[in-house]
Amino acid sequence: MSALLLVLVLAQTRLASDFEIAQMEKQLARSRDFEAQLSGHLNLGDVRAARNELTLARAEYQRAFELAEKERMAARRESRLTRYSNATSYAALAKAKLGDEARAFLLLEEAARYASDDAESWNLYASAMRVLGHPRKAISAARNAVLVAKEPLDVAIYQHALATALVDTGEVAEAEQLLVTVTTALRSDAFASLRREAADAEAFEVYSSVRGDVAAYVSLLNRAQLRLASLYEQRGATDAAREQYRRVLEGRSDDVTALAALARLAVSDDERARLYAEAFEANPFSPGLIREYRKNPTAPSTDMQRALVALQRGDRRAARELLDAMLAKFPANETLLGLRREAEGGAFAVPSQSPSASELRALIDAFERLTPEQRATLDAATFTSEIVDGAIDGVPVRLTAPVAATRVTYRILGVGDNGVLLLEPVE
Amino acid sequence: MNVLATLVLLVATSKGVVTAHDHRIELAGAWRVDGVQHPTFIAAHEDRVVVLDAINNEAVIVEDGRTERIKTAETPIAASFVGDALFILARDGGVLHHVGGEDTQVRADLLKNEWLYSRATGALTKIGGATVQVPPFASDLEVDGDTVYLTYPREAAVRSVRGGKVETLRVGAVPVDLAIAGTMIAVADPSSKRIWITEGRQSVAEAFARGFIRGFLGLSSGRRDREFPTGVDRVATRGRVWIAYDSSSGTLYSFTKKQSTVIARNVPANGWTLTANGVAWWDGTSVAQKTLR
Repeated sequence: MSALLLVLVLAQTRLASDFEIAQMEKQLARSRDFEAQLSGHLNLGDVRAARNELTLARAEYQRAFELAEKERMAARRESRLTRYSNATSYAALAKAKLGDEARAFLLLEEAARYASDDAESWNLYASAMRVLGHPRKAISAARNAVLVAKEPLDVAIYQHALATALVDTGEVAEAEQLLVTVTTALRSDAFASLRREAADAEAFEVYSSVRGDVAAYVSLLNRAQLRLASLYEQRGATDAAREQYRRVLEGRSDDVTALAALARLAVSDDERARLYAEAFEANPFSPGLIREYRKNPTAPSTDMQRALVALQRGDRRAARELLDAMLAKFPANETLLGLRREAEGGAFAVPSQSPSASELRALIDAFERLTPEQRATLDAATFTSEIVDGAIDGVPVRLTAPVAATRVTYRILGVGDNGVLLLEPVE
Repeated sequence: MNVLATLVLLVATSKGVVTAHDHRIELAGAWRVDGVQHPTFIAAHEDRVVVLDAINNEAVIVEDGRTERIKTAETPIAASFVGDALFILARDGGVLHHVGGEDTQVRADLLKNEWLYSRATGALTKIGGATVQVPPFASDLEVDGDTVYLTYPREAAVRSVRGGKVETLRVGAVPVDLAIAGTMIAVADPSSKRIWITEGRQSVAEAFARGFIRGFLGLSSGRRDREFPTGVDRVATRGRVWIAYDSSSGTLYSFTKKQSTVIARNVPANGWTLTANGVAWWDGTSVAQKTLR
């Protein structure tokens, strides 16, 4: 590999666990050289961003920028202009991740003056432009990288970057062709020794900024297969998509994107439930996974799934309890914070005369926040429901006096322990 | 001030210095019009000005305070007035816009006068003319009469191209930019922290063609670190005025064959321009000027 540090196009990032983040932070604390520190901060920023921890992500990108800026100024003073252009490209990438497109552009153009013969510089250019939402600029830069690259692994990396940018602009036919080329090459004998090294080192981490050929190989194979699978899936080639997703799991059995995709494509409910459970075990905070699961929920087996199911059926109180327990462990997690806001519920409305389960759950949810006027309105109202086995349409209730009939007219007094609705029968 | 953080462009016109920044284009005391979000390039011909926004693919042409706004193909990176004709190179869209004329498909990164150059392929093409194949990966393209000059940082070389013939000269360590006027050529080499200068009795093109240029004299006066502590990476000339600029510190210098003088510090990367009799630059709030004759 021509560069010490190589940026892979960030896409479909696997969600890192807290353990992995802690490991990355420890590695970063031990590292001293520029490339190690830079890749550490960029990767931490990416995994934080993928976990929707945006403030923490920005802090990491800002540190990466400061490092790169310091490095490029030092390199310039020392007349090390290859180092200067390299650091300038990374400063641009960090700025792009921070959303500063003007500064990123100027830095990229500055690097291109010195290093238009360097494929990695063009790859960084393409990455930064993708991050900033300029896929056509990214395509142009990625084509330069492919044109200039010489080593087989480098060529594969830049072809993947080009394919990614092409997908962004809807040019999927060329993208698919490139990804087939990349994945076939990576699984061929030409990369057998890297594959063995990866297996011997038990290397499975998937990062967006990698150091060394083994790490680059592992990350690239993961990304390219995921992307190819996604393209197959989009055009209805379900079997081919499944095969690619399964190949991803051969490399990393807890890849949340592949697990969620296979759940989506599952042929039975049992298989879907098992795959969703594995995906949520791998990372409960993935916005993509959560979106998928909410479209087609299965029997929950993790707390996040239980919270999502509770939200789905309007049981916001139960959702809040589950989310609060998770927030106690991950207070900065913006996925959790977003769901917690959703669990707060909307405006209160007095239930109808024969209230449905969702109306009663909404009332239970809002009860503690009722204004005195709303409380007075509720106290004055009477309702009629069928009460079977201590519940109205599945919502648990407790009557203040025994009633022989199942059809009961009542007033609502309040909410007891465990969200049980307290009712007073009226004649 | 971080010189790469400030997007201010200056260009001298026949009626004064025009600035482009913060969504506006302005000729002080004459007119102010709506500009672009990210001004990345500016050029002028007499009192006609073009400002490009390479990020948002936009160009604004201003003439006497009247504007024409154009949506360009991807990444308008440079523009050139050739006589009354205006060309805009949209690099990533692969288009050369001829404003008011026919667009053409091109693959190029640099545009100067009527010459286009592709860094990736080394194709050097005259607009509407033939293509000459030269080495790829040049950092700068300059034109003097019918001769084209290119700097090659990695090869430590400058090449001249005239009538299809390519001449190569080794210069410094990392030459990135050059300026040429009459019998004098100056090459910015930030790695050596020098400006390489040569001057002869004949034109530079003649000297190149006849192989008379044997070497350059490095301007540093033996006080290298003091003179250009982080090196200069841009040089420009107009008439007898020669200017150098260090984009890492934002320092603007005037220089002759014998010495250099600091004119201003913390000048934004493209926030300076040569005027008819000196140089103008953005001082953070307005245009400052210095006569150098």
